Amino acid sequence: MSQLELRDIRKTYPGALDETLKGINIDIASGEFLTLVGPSGCGKSTLMNSIAGLESITGGSIVVEGKDISTMEPKDRDIAMVFQSYALYPTMSVRENIAFGLKIRGMPKDEIQQEVERVADLLQISALLDKKPARLSGGQQQRVAMGRALARRPKIYLFDEPLSNLDAKLRVEMRTEIKKLHQRLKTTIVYVTHDQIEAMTLADRIAVLKDGELQQLGTPKEVYDTPENLFVAGFMGSPSMSFINVTVEQAGPGLVVNIEGSDGRKLALPVPDYLQGWAGKQVVLGIRPEHISQPDEQKRDSQMVAESRFTVEVTEPTGPDILAVIRLNNVDVQCRLDAEHPVNWGEEAELMFDMRKVVFFDPDSEKRIRP
Amino acid sequence: MTDMVRTGFRPSRIAIYGVLLLACLVYLIPLIVMLITSFKTPMDIRSGNLLAMPTDWTTIGWTKAWSEACTGVQCEGVKGYFWNSFKMTVPAVMISTLLGAFNGYVLSKWKFKGSDLLFGMLLFGCFVPFQVVLLPMAATLGKLGMANTTAGLVLVHVIYGVAFTTLFFRNYYVAIPDALVKAARLDGAGFFTIFFRILLPMSTPIFMVSLIWQFTQIWNDFLFGVVFASGDSQPITVALNNLVNTSTGVKEYNVDMAAAMIAALPTLVVYIVAGKYFIRGLTAGSVKG
Amino acid sequence: MEHTQRRPAGVARASSGLMDGLQRWLPKLVVAPTFLLVGIGIYGYMLWTGVLSFTNSSFLPSYNFVGLEQYAKLMESERWIVASWNLAIFGGLFIGICLLIGVVLAIFLDQRIRQEGAIRTIYLYPMALSMIVTGTVWRWILNPRLGLEKLMHDWGWTSFSFDWLVNSDFAIYTIVMAAVWQASGFVMALFLAGLRGVDSSIIRAARVDGASLPVIYWKIILPSLRPVFFSSVMVLAHIAIKSFDLVMAMTAGGPGYSTDLPAVFMYAHTFTRGQMGLGSASAMLMLGAILALLVPYLYSELREKRHD
Repeated sequence: MSQLELRDIRKTYPGALDETLKGINIDIASGEFLTLVGPSGCGKSTLMNSIAGLESITGGSIVVEGKDISTMEPKDRDIAMVFQSYALYPTMSVRENIAFGLKIRGMPKDEIQQEVERVADLLQISALLDKKPARLSGGQQQRVAMGRALARRPKIYLFDEPLSNLDAKLRVEMRTEIKKLHQRLKTTIVYVTHDQIEAMTLADRIAVLKDGELQQLGTPKEVYDTPENLFVAGFMGSPSMSFINVTVEQAGPGLVVNIEGSDGRKLALPVPDYLQGWAGKQVVLGIRPEHISQPDEQKRDSQMVAESRFTVEVTEPTGPDILAVIRLNNVDVQCRLDAEHPVNWGEEAELMFDMRKVVFFDPDSEKRIRP
Repeated sequence: MTDMVRTGFRPSRIAIYGVLLLACLVYLIPLIVMLITSFKTPMDIRSGNLLAMPTDWTTIGWTKAWSEACTGVQCEGVKGYFWNSFKMTVPAVMISTLLGAFNGYVLSKWKFKGSDLLFGMLLFGCFVPFQVVLLPMAATLGKLGMANTTAGLVLVHVIYGVAFTTLFFRNYYVAIPDALVKAARLDGAGFFTIFFRILLPMSTPIFMVSLIWQFTQIWNDFLFGVVFASGDSQPITVALNNLVNTSTGVKEYNVDMAAAMIAALPTLVVYIVAGKYFIRGLTAGSVKG
Repeated sequence: MEHTQRRPAGVARASSGLMDGLQRWLPKLVVAPTFLLVGIGIYGYMLWTGVLSFTNSSFLPSYNFVGLEQYAKLMESERWIVASWNLAIFGGLFIGICLLIGVVLAIFLDQRIRQEGAIRTIYLYPMALSMIVTGTVWRWILNPRLGLEKLMHDWGWTSFSFDWLVNSDFAIYTIVMAAVWQASGFVMALFLAGLRGVDSSIIRAARVDGASLPVIYWKIILPSLRPVFFSSVMVLAHIAIKSFDLVMAMTAGGPGYSTDLPAVFMYAHTFTRGQMGLGSASAMLMLGAILALLVPYLYSELREKRHD
């Protein structure tokens, strides 16, 4: 049974010409971790605030456990939220921060005490309970903010870019922490982020938003491997997918697309049969960096690989591997090379194209061409 | 902006200190003159000069100003008016600050359709020359039976002070993240709970600013006092002006100066004790207003 | 699942429709009194005064409309013309001198001065005084026989003579002196705050580029304080147009009406001379003067904010 259903959510701000949310439909199962991801201004924060009841919606309905809560006050929705700025009450101690919501709801003192301690234990902040938020580090404040949400044991948790104020190292640590917490407590979480790595690593399912419209809803693997359209393909993954304009051509029994390097060297790449209908037409080839690398003996057996030498324009060593840029059909294309076999810029490298996971898009509709 | 000038005894540095100290003197001299003169005898005043120390230190000017000097027809000193000013200032400061706090809270955290219009109205209200409201206000106070009463003056000061206090609180609360209010709403807190439990405990500095600003403004006001009050209900500023302009008998400058000191002391004390907030009020009221 | 479903006992779900409805109205209810007070007390009364300015009200308000007659009378009144001229002289000098002194003192104070806090306190304390007190003191200092003149005589400058306070050609300048004494420290505080807000990396960059300190101030820092400059002018102009207390305490408009300002004119005609219509017309013109300053100022402020 779905815990939270968003049915055709629409929102137009007073005086605005465009809709901020243009009919969002998402079902979220109990215990599911859903991330909402998209560029700034895509409406993800508006959607989040609408679920919490901090903003009213202009159309559609929000249903929790079968009950329409669209018009309820935030306090009656039984939803907790963790804010980007943490929004800890600065004049209250950590203990009072966590207890505030329980106190207002009239929980007896001893139960509050128990609950605060349980949450503090869970998040390892017991030692901080009597400190004021200003005396805590960013990571500690983050934990307290989560503690405040956990203490109420709400039906649904909303996380609004909770890690974006932390430094890089702490962000990764907290990400793992949140994931562990979710696996342990099996809570229903809607998590907003603009960081697609965060979205990928945390989510059971990802909802990609752009301009108030849902672009794709699926598991991280689905979204990464089979993006619905050019936007999702370009947005998810870092470094992002490269797009090359190519023409599908018949070559013997199979289909190929031709690419040309900066030095004029050409290479025919095998493409899957489902592009039969596109023979003679232009398509956009989407290829991720990890699908262009140094030749791999094991892959050579496959029909769907091709090799040639290309001039490397730029190299960016990342540590475990080297990101190299080559030019194909006049666009920059990124490849992921083995750090053990360094290549310098300006040199030629033998590269293997693994075509099994590349995707193709209709250049007009920008939609992925389905098998 | 520090480390602009290397320290050391360069001529330019001596010149800077010279100018600054000279300015100190210029600003201080009137206060010194006022104090010296207030402790002189009338004889002393005639024989000495402005900056000459009294030959006989005497408090006769002060006692006379406090309880004997003539402010028009009456000759009971300024003490009654001094207390009038307190009776008027304290409630007016309290009420206008409280109203301002609530208004600022609503105008920053609970915006509604038309709240920006109200804010614009208040902002503009800070600049209106009070001359355009004097006559209708006098008529209204008369109708309400509040003419020449302290209550009437309190009302007037509340009306024309609330624009400033609202501005103070609104600008202060705007800087507090909205997420705090959102979090509290999700925690189940309502309008007043959020104000009293979350925002109010954070508001001490701006309360100080508002209280001090309003105290200084209202205590120092002369226009409303002279227009809306007469006789027994007049504030100290009006009484001082009457005392100085009373032309009966010989002019006693020591009494004038003592009376001026009495009128100045409350705000001076506030300024010395809480000058930090006073300056903040001045800059907030002007830069952001 | 265990986590979400074990709702502790005793947690009451407050959910009453009536309360929620009230909550929704509370913000409006809370600002309603202010809205009412300010709506009537400022805007209503402004209109009322406007109406009165078109009547021939004398000692009591009357509603015999006489069109623009009061305004015409005002324009012909020599006293009003003197008052307006005085405002121009007073306002111009007051604002100009205050800005000059304020900027210079602020820049000097910004040079890592020892005891800066104490000096600042001294510069600013006159702002805490009532203008009546200021007027009383300055009136005494400028007393033609016993004041400054006697001090100079005692110090050996026997030919010194200073009778501006009672000289109808010069009395207005004594008002300027007292007003500058009172408000220049305030301008200093505004500019000092502005100087402290200037990004120090810009100054370091200019020094690296080889600019000297005076050049840095003149070409880089002061131009960046334009907003402070404008708000100072706004506040000072506002003080000048409304200043009434100071004149009343120092000269009461005299000698004759040589130090009248529009605010004094308005008070005298409305409340002591029984010419409410004329007084109202003068008040409306004062409002007009403020508007002429305020509207462009607010317009540019709002536009800047939109550009942010």
